[in-house]
Amino acid sequence: MSTISVSTGFDKETATVSRIYDYLILVLAGFLYIGSYHLHFMLTVGDWDFWLDWKDRQYWPLVTPVLMIAWPAAVQSVLWTHFRLPMGATLSVVGLMLGMWITRVTAYQIWTNYPLNFVLPATMIPSALVLDAILMLSPSFLVTAIAGGASFALLFYPTNWPIFAMFHVPIEWQGGLQTIADQFGFEYLRAGMPEYLRIIERGTLRTYGQMAAPLSAFFAALLCILVYAAGWYIGKAFATVRYLKRV
Amino acid sequence: MKLLKLFVFSSICLSGLFLSTSTAWAHGERSLEPFVRMRTVQWYDVNWSASTVAVNDELTITGKVHVAEDWPNSLPKPEAAYLGVIAPGPVFLRKERWINGEAHLNSLPLKVGRDYEFKMKLKARIPGRYHIHPSFNIIDTGNVAGPGQWVEITGNANAFTNNVETVKGEMINLETYGTANGVRWHMLWMILGIAWLVWWVRRPLFIPRYAMVNKGEEDKLVTPKDKNLAKAILVAVPVIVLSGYFVTNSQYPETIPLQASLDLIPPLPEQADLVNAKIKRATYNIPQRSMMMMVEIKNDSQKTLQIGEFTTGSVRFINSNMNIDASHTPPEYLATNGMQIEPNDLIHPGEAKVVKIMASDAVWEIEHLSSVIGDADSRFGGLLFLFDDQGNRYLSSISASLIPEYK
Repeated sequence: MSTISVSTGFDKETATVSRIYDYLILVLAGFLYIGSYHLHFMLTVGDWDFWLDWKDRQYWPLVTPVLMIAWPAAVQSVLWTHFRLPMGATLSVVGLMLGMWITRVTAYQIWTNYPLNFVLPATMIPSALVLDAILMLSPSFLVTAIAGGASFALLFYPTNWPIFAMFHVPIEWQGGLQTIADQFGFEYLRAGMPEYLRIIERGTLRTYGQMAAPLSAFFAALLCILVYAAGWYIGKAFATVRYLKRV
Repeated sequence: MKLLKLFVFSSICLSGLFLSTSTAWAHGERSLEPFVRMRTVQWYDVNWSASTVAVNDELTITGKVHVAEDWPNSLPKPEAAYLGVIAPGPVFLRKERWINGEAHLNSLPLKVGRDYEFKMKLKARIPGRYHIHPSFNIIDTGNVAGPGQWVEITGNANAFTNNVETVKGEMINLETYGTANGVRWHMLWMILGIAWLVWWVRRPLFIPRYAMVNKGEEDKLVTPKDKNLAKAILVAVPVIVLSGYFVTNSQYPETIPLQASLDLIPPLPEQADLVNAKIKRATYNIPQRSMMMMVEIKNDSQKTLQIGEFTTGSVRFINSNMNIDASHTPPEYLATNGMQIEPNDLIHPGEAKVVKIMASDAVWEIEHLSSVIGDADSRFGGLLFLFDDQGNRYLSSISASLIPEYK
């Protein structure tokens, strides 16, 4: 019997039932997180994560962490406040990654014939691990929002560069310069995705000595701090049993 | 028992329903409003180099578009457009694309009233039979499909290769390039993420922890071991991330950002305005599926001309009295006997003549073009082709309001 069960005074049978309940909730919550976080991710980050030729140095490192952090913050809020479980961010992101891999392989590769490398997802698991670790060690919402939120965004680009750098190698095609990622977009037909729809490399960030990616990452860090706070309070607002009082 | 019978009966009915369905092959090419298909880019001379190709073989699509002068007011002007291919996914790959003989890698602005000639080289990838259209995606307008043709790809998909050469001379296969590396990194992080979850899940979770938090014993729930692990994470994760970043930078020192430019390709040289066609009145008779146009045509050329063809929304109405090559056009877009011209005479140099043109065929309904009368902008547009005795073609873009006739 674990120290936790001893501390709560559970007998063996109660502890067993409690453990079965744990697994039941874990499985249900797992599917819930995979489904709902994935839906949230597809509807917000969407094309920036679906396609190689959307992963630019300006919008991709800005949009992805900012739109992704609300969910882990909300789950952290629930799991930490009520259970002292510092795994909310990792649980969310691992669930999301599982969901994304299932869809990339089935919907994109098997169903619609896109090669897997064209639709490789970005990963945010390192950011989530750091976010959970900061929450546990601080243990403060404010510190986590500032240090964790900022780390969440700042780690995103260097985490994913080892996966995607090789697609930024230049090639010459029809007399023009392209990255390999651009070439994928040119060759692999997408009737509903003309080149002009890509929201990449717009604005004047790149005029800062071509340092667009770090600038985007720092701006994302600032926004992540704010979005983390919002996500935390959303989680807190929904983690209530007041609707169950009449049951 | 009744419920069980009802369930079995419903299941059989549903199964029958699913088994009786056929595969959908269309791409919604007839769904775009007719006024967009008739009055934005007007396709002509579209040709496919083959109707059967083997995996790895090439299919070339060529053709022209006229950008209609009467561009709909409800649509912004075509400041960015992208010549595409409508197909069920990447069954073909687009290997080359040319507009007016210039490379077209990105998007380009189109000039209203002008013509563009295109060529696309596609490489067959996945065996099957597919309906292949050229199309023009136009910013804030949509995807305007050209005519489509069935093309069969034969052979073995596993034999497909797609090699390209980088500027450093390295030959890579786009089908597999970078996949293993990406999967490896994802697996590494997934394993670490799952390990962190298992670290917590192996202990009792919800009920006892909730009870202890409520009793004010939350400090007991995080042990010194947990804290040490978290500290290790705070050190190890950034170290792995930054090491990966710098090692990658040394592996790929020459990378460039994604390219996002606009191709500036001039239209085809403007033709002399030798034929002026102006519609005086146009009606569409719904039960007869017939369009009538009273057109005043002025021949300012030095040649005697005759009306040969009216084309709109990729559909071709052809004057059967003339010998016009329509062999490259799929039959569903052809109304070979649907055009009547009164008087079907020659138009002499300098002559102005009012001609009644009837364009009648079920294709108005089949291609959903007749519903232009239900559009908010119920004008139609198209191209009128006239020919001289040497076979030279004179193009005139026409458009007018369309009056419906309900009986």
